[in-house]
Amino acid sequence: MSTASRDRILAATKANKPAELPLPTVPDFGGEATAERFAAVLAGIGGTVVRMNGLGELVSTLQQLFPEARTTASPLFAASVPINAQTPTGILAAIDLTVLQGEIGVAENGAVWLPEANMMNRALPTITQHLALVLDHRRIVATMHQAYAQLPNTGGYGKFVAGPSKTADIEQSLVIGAHGARSLVVVLY
Amino acid sequence: MNHATRADKFLLDADRTTWHDETLWFVREKRDRAVYAVPEFQELRQLASDIKDHTLSRLDLYLQEFEAAAQANGVHVHWAADAAEHNAIILDIIQKQGATRIVKSKSMLTEECHLNPYLIKHGIEVVDTDLGERIIQFRDEPPSHIVLPAIHLKKEDVGETFHTHLGTEKGESDPQRLTEAARQHLRGKFIAGQVAISGVNFAIAETGGVVVCTNEGNADLGVNLAAVHIACMGIEKIIPRLTDLGVFTRLLARSATGQPVTTYTSHFTKPVAGKEMHIVIVDNGRTQQLGRPDFRASLKCIRCGACMNTCPVYRRSGGHSYDFTVPGPIGAILSPNIDMKKHASLPFASTLCGSCTDVCPVKIDIHTQLYKWRQVLGEANEIPASKKWSMKFMGRVLASTRVYGLGGQFARKALRLLPHGLTHATSVNAWAVARELPEAPKQSFREWYAKQPQPAAQPAQPKIPA
Amino acid sequence: MKVALFIPCYIDQFYPQVGIATLQLLEKLGVQAHFPAQQTCCGQPLANSGCEHDALPIYKHFVETFSDYDYVVAPSGSCVYHVRKHFDKLDQTADVQHVRGAAYDLIDFISTVLKVESLPGAFPHKVGLHLSCHGQRGLHQANESEMTPVRDGQLRRLMASLDGIELTQLNRNDECCGFGGTFCVSEAGISARMGQDRVADHVLNGTEVLTGSDMSCLMHLEGIVRRAQLPIKVMHAAEILNGLTA
Repeated sequence: MSTASRDRILAATKANKPAELPLPTVPDFGGEATAERFAAVLAGIGGTVVRMNGLGELVSTLQQLFPEARTTASPLFAASVPINAQTPTGILAAIDLTVLQGEIGVAENGAVWLPEANMMNRALPTITQHLALVLDHRRIVATMHQAYAQLPNTGGYGKFVAGPSKTADIEQSLVIGAHGARSLVVVLY
Repeated sequence: MNHATRADKFLLDADRTTWHDETLWFVREKRDRAVYAVPEFQELRQLASDIKDHTLSRLDLYLQEFEAAAQANGVHVHWAADAAEHNAIILDIIQKQGATRIVKSKSMLTEECHLNPYLIKHGIEVVDTDLGERIIQFRDEPPSHIVLPAIHLKKEDVGETFHTHLGTEKGESDPQRLTEAARQHLRGKFIAGQVAISGVNFAIAETGGVVVCTNEGNADLGVNLAAVHIACMGIEKIIPRLTDLGVFTRLLARSATGQPVTTYTSHFTKPVAGKEMHIVIVDNGRTQQLGRPDFRASLKCIRCGACMNTCPVYRRSGGHSYDFTVPGPIGAILSPNIDMKKHASLPFASTLCGSCTDVCPVKIDIHTQLYKWRQVLGEANEIPASKKWSMKFMGRVLASTRVYGLGGQFARKALRLLPHGLTHATSVNAWAVARELPEAPKQSFREWYAKQPQPAAQPAQPKIPA
Repeated sequence: MKVALFIPCYIDQFYPQVGIATLQLLEKLGVQAHFPAQQTCCGQPLANSGCEHDALPIYKHFVETFSDYDYVVAPSGSCVYHVRKHFDKLDQTADVQHVRGAAYDLIDFISTVLKVESLPGAFPHKVGLHLSCHGQRGLHQANESEMTPVRDGQLRRLMASLDGIELTQLNRNDECCGFGGTFCVSEAGISARMGQDRVADHVLNGTEVLTGSDMSCLMHLEGIVRRAQLPIKVMHAAEILNGLTA
């Protein structure tokens, strides 16, 4: 690593930057923070919202949704494959369904904040074939402004997940299931 | 070869040009619908522009704040003055790991630095994992768009490429099945990857973390399976606060593809225990651009590609006609900073219609900068000599009423008297490639006006300053 | 009100009827415009080619010609835009600042200064509007599709006020026609293709008369229409509003 380059870049930046300009305050903008809007937007980007009355219904809800899932991973119920941060890739790659707790839902774009603490393993939410995120409907906010305002920090790793993995790189034809999870269900309670 | 010559090659296939234009216009229309649905969208553009302006005005301080925060997170921070240093730093990290298999998600910076050929030359296998990038990597072509790298290809082209490289059935052109083939192929590469290289959409000074936005999930998969993550960023990727992302994430995907947000907005802040994270901060001409008052706003770009999708020239000439890593209007204002001679024709590859400026989510005055680059190029004698001299001649004619009047009479008379084949010969008259010249009237407006009765023929005497 | 007519060089030489219609239309609206004979050009062709420096004497000549008038009206938004935006290269004397502020596109002048929103007369044809970029995006004479789905603007309102007129609903309301000044010859291939596509949109949606307020775009589009021998008549908006029949 070259400290000479660091110093040169910083010196040139300092010399060439314009006179200082103010940093604006970003307003909240309000907006509709409803489960209905969240569900409609998520459906528009290839995801699904399923409702249940409480966490007690989670297992039966999942059984209805994913009757075929053989290998499951989740900290929320007795799943078939135990996962931790050290789980080898080969085991992760064989997971059919992963069920994780989402923290914040964003009504304007269908995204759900998923922090590292809820993932079991950083690779799990992407490598799994199917992903279900469980979300308390009271944690739905209207916009990304409100979502970021609620995040204490982003931890070591965390992400907003909005729908299933997708691509349109071939002729702009939308294909669901590029490299990450082939489907995304948000289970709202 | 200049832009016009390369564009003419693209235009030879008229049907494909139509398809390319309509495909990108479709993306522009998706963008429009997403934008119309957000009442505060224009306010968000202004906020994004202001945040970026502010950041550039304190960039040295924010870079240091970012570095200190990242180091406190256990991240290794490297600084590269140019492409060569960037590539050398990355090779060094890879070699220290004893790694030979690299997975890479999209990074226009690594394209700009020509990282792939450099690593391959040093015996490293580099796999681009974004589907579009993988397609063009198989074909050994540069990306033709920064968000849609393979947008110049039709599904049949991709089918042919996958048949050769992935063994898909000959003639298979269904996007669903081709994508599935790539998914299976790349899963193996992800699992085997030792080092993952990613780009950076936003680097947050306050937290020292970087944000990577993808739809496919390839950055998350690559980074989280490999032992080492190398994130490459230009100095202009900095934003001050985590909450600023509220503004930028609302603008980026809507402007790029019309999605409300990218599928994954991933925050990489600290490496997981036992793994490494590196960030390479690159200048490569950016501090020079920062020092050009007329052009520094180009550094506000968040690489959404909206200016390409809307540009009527880009849509009909294709990304490769720009012969620069970043094509389209934004590329035409970034490229002369890198090599004024080589890219001299790009600021002229525009009608200055201004649509690029109006879609830009950070309000870069792209068409004004195109105009200003033209002046810089003119002063530097980087425009064709014939154009330069004819403009000098015109300048003299048009500054004189008398010379102008005589010239006009002569030209109209010539147009009326000369045969059509001569006035419309495309070898001397590029206008005539597809257009008739106007029918030359017998008298000009001023000749008509002079013959009109009072009071029109007696205009008020304009003031002539001494 | 002392109003000067600025007839850009190519209109003077090739489209005198547009200059005449502009003059007569203003007369009908109670404005006696004068044509200072010493005028030449706004200098835009040079500046857009990267030769702004060589255009400075033209700019000065323009300011000297028009500084004594309250308004300078031209049937070409592009030239007006150039005067307003790019005469910043001159020393900003009182005359320069005055002329920059006094320059108006004809339709803008009628709408903003004269505050006329409708005109008498009939034009029983299907009319396609060409929104020129410099008037629309540069001078804000019409809504932009980049900002809003609402198609509104000065030219649309004035045209819609004519009896019997039907306005074409285009697929792409405000895409550039590809003229672009010297772009039309330096990038002739792309320029022509853009013009052909623009005209095709009008053909597809039934335009009988194609009009706009900037004659430079119309010159390009007319060249394409005539080459392809299409059944479309190209007219400047001043001609239609002045009561000319198609």
